Amino acid sequence: MLLQQIINGFMIGCVYALTAMGGTLIYGILRILDIANAAAYVVGAYLGWVIYATTGNLAVAFFLSMALTGAIGVLIQKFIYTPILNKPNIIPIVPLITSVGIFIFTGDFIRLLVGPEIKDFGVILPFSVIKLGRIVINPEWILIIIMTAILLSLLWFVLNKTKLGLAWRATAGDSEIAETMGVNIQKVMALSYIMGYGFASAAGMMIGVLYSSIYPTMGDIPSYKMLAIIVLGGLGNPIGTIAAGLVIGLSETLISAYVGSVIPRDAIAFLVLITILLVKPTGLISRKNSI
Amino acid sequence: MKKGLKVWLLVSLVIILGISMFGCSQPAETPAAEEPSSEPAAPAESSEPIRIGFFAPVTGAAASDGKSATQSAELAVKLINDGGGINGRPVELVKYDDGLDTKQAVNIAQKLTTKDNVVAVVSGSYSGPTRVAAPIFQEAGMPMLSAYAIHPDVTGSGDFVFSQSFSGSVQGRAGGVVAVDMLGAKRISILAVDIDFGKTLSEAFTAYAEANGAEIVSMDTFGMPETEFSPVLTKIKETVKPDLLYIACYPSHGTEIARQSKRLGLDVQILGTEGIDSYQFLEVAKEDAEGVIITTNMNRDSESDAVKNYIAGYKAAYNMQPDMVGASTYDAFETLFKVIAEVGTDPVAMRDAIKGLKDFETVTGRLIEYAPSRVAVKPVQIQIVKDGEFHYYNEITDDAIIRD
Repeated sequence: MLLQQIINGFMIGCVYALTAMGGTLIYGILRILDIANAAAYVVGAYLGWVIYATTGNLAVAFFLSMALTGAIGVLIQKFIYTPILNKPNIIPIVPLITSVGIFIFTGDFIRLLVGPEIKDFGVILPFSVIKLGRIVINPEWILIIIMTAILLSLLWFVLNKTKLGLAWRATAGDSEIAETMGVNIQKVMALSYIMGYGFASAAGMMIGVLYSSIYPTMGDIPSYKMLAIIVLGGLGNPIGTIAAGLVIGLSETLISAYVGSVIPRDAIAFLVLITILLVKPTGLISRKNSI
Repeated sequence: MKKGLKVWLLVSLVIILGISMFGCSQPAETPAAEEPSSEPAAPAESSEPIRIGFFAPVTGAAASDGKSATQSAELAVKLINDGGGINGRPVELVKYDDGLDTKQAVNIAQKLTTKDNVVAVVSGSYSGPTRVAAPIFQEAGMPMLSAYAIHPDVTGSGDFVFSQSFSGSVQGRAGGVVAVDMLGAKRISILAVDIDFGKTLSEAFTAYAEANGAEIVSMDTFGMPETEFSPVLTKIKETVKPDLLYIACYPSHGTEIARQSKRLGLDVQILGTEGIDSYQFLEVAKEDAEGVIITTNMNRDSESDAVKNYIAGYKAAYNMQPDMVGASTYDAFETLFKVIAEVGTDPVAMRDAIKGLKDFETVTGRLIEYAPSRVAVKPVQIQIVKDGEFHYYNEITDDAIIRD
């Protein structure tokens, strides 16, 4: 039972890490907690569902949905966030409230467009449940592991092996110095949004496949749980975010399995967050230690 | 040029936002301006429309139930008006969205009782919003019928407040009868959503099951937005090993519990409630839903004309399957129409007429009467999922079970 619960927790953690990665990439550059990332998560899931229903190809659905949602992200950054952030003496709460607005707007927009019902994602995977003795591994979990691995390697490659990635890291370190060194900040911001919203979209789709269902309010929990993971991961640190996702996924699972439902599962994430921040106020991996 | 584009974008965004905000949070059908001297108790020969208030969670976490309820309310009103209204007077629906928010429900109740000139109200919402709105209607002396809210406090508000559905304690007890007496369960696990609905049902279920020789071997609750059940289902499979799993929750939970328990190899009879009496549960859970039994109020296999007409009418109007929520809302309107046709729109006369109803055939079964607690007494339907549809499994008519 313990091993099975660890596997359960690991899977939940992977999903959390992916969901929060988008927000982390955006915080890393713009220093805004972008709740609207949860909107990208919902939009991505719906786009993926529509594309999968028309093409019947899951890979195409993933790729197109990520690209389209990333493009929407760039538009939002260009026409909503940049004008707001460029206003003189802007207080940090303004972009936060803006992102909450975008999130609520998106949820209701999708509800009016598609309806409030749960839609069946309807993916049939080419592999079935794997049983190793008493241990059960769901086919969707295998998909999630493969996708997580692909996406994280892609992220690692872009950030560490490309010029744009170098610019991203430089900007995340100190945007003013990076700018004086000739880094095109606008381009870096656009990269953040493409990757950030693309990741959120992939996470939304994966949740859609995992639970075989999508609905307009599916972003509600990620919208705030994402914050716990971003903060726990050291605010804007991609590796910290993966660690934090796994820590929260595992602790939620183990606590709800062995302690019972005294505390709701969602509250556990914040309990873990507070406990760890009391001991280590910079989060699991602080920004200084690079990415 | 670039500035022009920005301004244009901003303006269009504001317009879109404005439209959607009005679409979401304002009454979809704005009550007409003050009608000159149209008293609620207008004489029956007048051709003034009869206005009936209605609220449901059209936005928020329960939006799909809100949609079902609203569509059924509109269907009921459309059908009565197509047939010439009530004694020649058309019916007008004054509808609001409570967003599953109790504060919003209070505002709506204030508006309905003071401004909207309605003669009676139907709640198409959950227990939370309904039980805070009910005392306001009671205070105003305006009859209110709750379609499917199950908390006992709803009708506890006073003698103008009725529940068109049986209470949660009746349904929980009926679940106990199914589990213990019909299925012979001895060791039962419970999974319940942590709001009024799950609490009321699981408490009544537990009381009956324990009094009749079964043991509740585990009881877990979860929050409304929960979708991941593998930790708790693994625990149930590995250490609890029950012979029945009672789930008091909604379609989004029910589908995942059914799917994930099948995946984990937890082979146990699942007994649900009216909460998963929805096409959404069947569509998403598919073959994993097979064999799931539920307690509810609508018998899909009923030969009654009321049921057949409602199901056919709903499908024709909305191109989708009706559910328990919609059927209950429809019945609440049918009840009001019948009463208004008989006694007019005087609130006290309406209240007394509802109290006096006997053996009224509705979509959700035969309304035997209203109990002194003003909760409808009806048989509890037991349905089973077979070939992707709900079908008749049994019916509980025993007075000791179906009366509070």
